[in-house]
Amino acid sequence: MKKNSNVWLLLLIAVFLSSCSKDDETIENPTLPEGEYTNGFFVLNEGGFTYSNASLSFISEEGTVYNAVFSAENNRNLGDVAQSMGFHEDLAYILINNSNTIEVVNRYTMESVTTLEEGILNPRYIIFDDNFAYVTNWGDPADITDDYIAVINLENYEVVQKIEVAEGPEKLVKKNGKIYVAHKGGWGYGNTISVINTATNSLQTSIEVNDVPDGLVVKGDFLYVLCSGKANWTGEETNASLFKINLASQMVEEELQFPVGTHPGFLEENNNTLHYVVERDVFEVDLATFSLPTSALFSTQAQDISVLYGFTIHNDVIYIADAEDYSSNGEIFTYSLDGELINNYSVQLVPNGFYFNN
Amino acid sequence: MKYFILTLLGILCFLQGAAQNDTINVLGEVLLQDIRLKDSSYTRNYTVLNDSVLKRNQASLTNLLNFNSNVYFKENGAGMVSSPSFRGTTASQTAVLWNGININSQTTGQTDFNTINTRGFDQIVVKPGGSGVEDGSNAIGGSIYLENILEYHKGFRNSVFLNYGSFNTYGVNYKTAYSEKNTSFSLGYSRNGSDNDYPYLGTERKNKNGNYHNTNIALSGGIKLSRFDEIRLFSNIYDGKRNFSLPTPNALATKYYDFNTRSLLEWGRNYKRISSSAKLAYITEDYEYYPNVNNDFFTYGNVESLFVKYNLNYRLTKKIALQGKLNYTRNDGEGSDISQEIRNLGSVILGIKHQISDKVLYEVSLRQELNEDYENPFLYSAGIGTQFTDFYHLKINTSKSFRIPTYNDLYWQGVGNTELSPELSYQGEISNLFKFWKNTFQFTVYYNSVENLLSWVPDVSGVWRPQNTERVEIYGLETMFHFQEEIGAHKFALDGTYAYTVSENQATQNQLIYVPYHKLTASLSYAIKNFSAYYQYLNNGEVYTTTDNAPEHILDNYMVANLGMEYALGKNKNYEVGVQLLNLWGASYASVLNRPMPGRNFNAYLNLNF
Repeated sequence: MKKNSNVWLLLLIAVFLSSCSKDDETIENPTLPEGEYTNGFFVLNEGGFTYSNASLSFISEEGTVYNAVFSAENNRNLGDVAQSMGFHEDLAYILINNSNTIEVVNRYTMESVTTLEEGILNPRYIIFDDNFAYVTNWGDPADITDDYIAVINLENYEVVQKIEVAEGPEKLVKKNGKIYVAHKGGWGYGNTISVINTATNSLQTSIEVNDVPDGLVVKGDFLYVLCSGKANWTGEETNASLFKINLASQMVEEELQFPVGTHPGFLEENNNTLHYVVERDVFEVDLATFSLPTSALFSTQAQDISVLYGFTIHNDVIYIADAEDYSSNGEIFTYSLDGELINNYSVQLVPNGFYFNN
Repeated sequence: MKYFILTLLGILCFLQGAAQNDTINVLGEVLLQDIRLKDSSYTRNYTVLNDSVLKRNQASLTNLLNFNSNVYFKENGAGMVSSPSFRGTTASQTAVLWNGININSQTTGQTDFNTINTRGFDQIVVKPGGSGVEDGSNAIGGSIYLENILEYHKGFRNSVFLNYGSFNTYGVNYKTAYSEKNTSFSLGYSRNGSDNDYPYLGTERKNKNGNYHNTNIALSGGIKLSRFDEIRLFSNIYDGKRNFSLPTPNALATKYYDFNTRSLLEWGRNYKRISSSAKLAYITEDYEYYPNVNNDFFTYGNVESLFVKYNLNYRLTKKIALQGKLNYTRNDGEGSDISQEIRNLGSVILGIKHQISDKVLYEVSLRQELNEDYENPFLYSAGIGTQFTDFYHLKINTSKSFRIPTYNDLYWQGVGNTELSPELSYQGEISNLFKFWKNTFQFTVYYNSVENLLSWVPDVSGVWRPQNTERVEIYGLETMFHFQEEIGAHKFALDGTYAYTVSENQATQNQLIYVPYHKLTASLSYAIKNFSAYYQYLNNGEVYTTTDNAPEHILDNYMVANLGMEYALGKNKNYEVGVQLLNLWGASYASVLNRPMPGRNFNAYLNLNF
C-alpha cells in the first residue's frame, strides 16, 4: 500500500518540478530594417473590443506581409480597438478608440514619437489642416450631448480646442477651408453633416441628410454623402440614399434613394466614378449621369467573404478587408476595377482600413 | 531558488511517505453492499468541497474551484467577470444550483463565479458531465451545487472568520447558529472587498479601477414537525459592486452592480417507503452596468423566477427505488435592451434505480421538457455501476442534456431570435475508481457531442446575432486522486486533478477558444499537532484565443502556486490563525488575453469558533 502511494508521489513530484512555463513561441514574422515601411500599404487591424489586441500590418510592394509592426518596433501593444489612421508629413497618427489614445509614430520606421491621451475620448477619424489635426470623438458613451471635434496642435500634440458637435461624428473631408463631418451616429443614429470653418475653428452650419451618413467624397465643387439608413434590426428601418451637395451653396442638389431594405456602406471615388458596397457586392455610380446602378459591378461571393469590413480604391486597385467572424485573423483581397481578383493577404484581427505609404 | 524549494518540498514529502487531512473527499465510491437507495446518482462521480476547504481558499468560487477541481476558468483580471469551462464546454454549459435551484443568469445563461461568495455555503459539490435530467438546463459540461446544511441538536454556536491581505483585500464573516432537537436556525453575514490595485508584473502599470466589494447574507432554518416531516427554509442575498479594471490605462472607467436574492421553502417527508420533497423557490437577479463610473447612466437587466418542484422517491423493494419529479419554472424578465417577457417551463421526470446484486446497480431516468416557446427535448440518463472488488468500482453512464436559449438570445432588441432551438448534448463516460484504505484514485474518459451550439456570430452586414451554429465534439480524460498517510504525529495528504480536453468545432476542426488541452492541480498538506501547512499548485495549459487557432494569438500556459500555514489554538482547537502566500513564485500570468493577474501577495486570517 505504502509503496503504491510512493510511486504516485514520485510522479507528482515530477509534475511539481516541471512547473516552468514554456518559453514564448517565436512566431515566424519577418522584420524589416528600420525606415523600410515605405512603398507599400498598412492595414489596420482593430482587434476585439476590450481585448487590447489591435495591430498594424504592413504589406510591401513585393507583397510580403509584415504583421504586428507597431509592437515589433515599440515592444508594447497598440491598444484596444484601432479605429483609423492618418498621415501628416513624416508621421502616422493611429486612433485607438477604446484606449482613448492616439499613437503618433514615424510612418517609415514605426518608432513611437508620443502617445496622445489628454482630451481624447472615443476617437474615430482624423484629418489634417495646416498645422492642426481634427479628430472626431464620441465622448462619454453615457452622454449623447458631449461629442466633439478635438483640434490638436501638431507642434506640441496638445488638444487646443474642442468643437462641440451633434452626436456621433465620424468621417471627415475638407475643401476650401471647411471640414465636413458625417454624423453617422455613435451610441445613437445621426443624420447631419457638420460644416467646420477652420479659420475660426467653429461650427458654421449643419446640412441635413438621411440617416446614418457613412461615406463622404469631395469631388470638384460637390460633396457626395452615402447614407446607409437605419438597418432593419433597429426596429425603425429607414431608406438609404446618396446625396450630391453643392459646396458653394451647401444645399442638397440631388438625392438618389435606394430601395427599402438595401443598406449600402463605404464611398470611394476613382476616375469620376463613385463606388460603394452592399453586403458583399461592389457597385459603381458614374458621376456624369449620377444615377443608381441596377446591378453590381462585381461580387466578392467567390472569395466567401464573411464580413466586408474595409473598402478602398488606390491606383485603380480595389482593396477589400474580410473581418471573418471577428475572432480570427482577417484577410485582404485586391481586385482590378472590373472585379478580377488580383491577390490576397493574411493579416490580423478585424482589418478595417488601408493606408498607402508611398 | 524556486526549484530548490520545490525539490526540497518534494523530497520532504517523499521521505515521509503519504498522508492525511480532509481536504477533498472523492465521493461516489460508496460501497454498494450497504447503500439505501436514495435519490442521487450512483453511476456518476462528484467531489465534495467541505467547510474546511472553503475557508482555506479565497472567498470567490473561481479561486476555490480553480485550485481544487478540473474546472477551467477565464477571469478578466482578479475579481472581475469569471466564467467556467467544464470538460471543454462553454461558460453557459455549467449549471449552478443553489440548494437544488438553478441560479444561472437567465439573461446570459452563465454564472459569474466571482459573484458567488463561498463563505455563504457549508459545502460545494463539483459534478462533471451532463446531467440534464437531474439538474435541468445548462448542465452539459457539469454542475456545481452550492449547499447549506441544517444541523440539529448542536446548541448555540458562533464563528467568526476575518481575513486581510495585500491590496487592502479583506473579508469579514460571521455565522451564528442555534439548534435544538427539532429546530435549527442559522444566519451568516459575509463582507469581502479589495482595492485590487496590484501591479502588472514586468510593466509600469497597475490594475486601475479594479476595486470591488460584496456582501452576502445567508439564512437557514428548519423545523422537524414530526418524525417524518421537516420544513426547511433557506434565503440568500448577494449585493456586489465592482469597478471593472481598465483594459488600457486611459480607458474610460466602468462599473457593475449585482443584486441577487434567493429564497427557498421546502417540505421534506420521509415515511416508510416514501420520501418526498416539495420545493417552492423565488429568485431574483439584477445587474446594472455603468459605461462611465462618473455618470448616472446605466444599462440593466433583471429576471424574477419562480420554481415549484416536487420529488417523490418510492422504495419498491429493498433493491429497487422509483423516482418521479415535477418541475415548473416561471421566468419574468426585462432589461434596457430586452422588452418584458414571461416564459413558463415545465418538466416531468421518471426514474428507476435497481440494485441487481451486491456488486451491480443500474439506474435509468427520463425527462420530458414541457414549454410553450420552443421544441421540447426528451432527455435521458442511464448508467451502471459495478463494484468488482472492495477497491475497484466501475461506472458507466450515458445521457442527453440540453440548454435553453437565454433572454438575451431570444429577446435582445432587434437581433434576438425567438426561433432558436435548445442546445443538445449526447454524452457517454466510463469511470474507474480505486480505493485503498483512505486513498482514492479516479480515472474517467468521456465523449460529448453538442449540437445546435448557441453562439453570437456576425451576419453578412457584420451585425452580431444569436444562432444555432456548429456541432462541437468533445472528448477527454480526467483523473483525480487523494492520498493520505499518518506517520506518528505527522499527517500528510496529497490531492490532485488532471484533465486532458479536446473540444473541436466540427465545421472548422479547430479547438474551441479558451479551452486548454491540459489542466493540472495538486495540493500537498501537512499537519502536526496544532500546526498545518499546505501547498497548492495549478498548471494551466496554453489556450487559443482566436477561432482559427492562430499560433500568434495563443495565451501561454502558466503555473501558479500558493503556500499556506495555520495554527490552531484553544482547548478544542477552536481558534485558528493562518497566513497565505498567494502566487508564491510571483508568476506573471493571465487567464484572459491582456488581463494580467496579481503577482506574489499575502493574506492572513483568523477563525474563531465559540
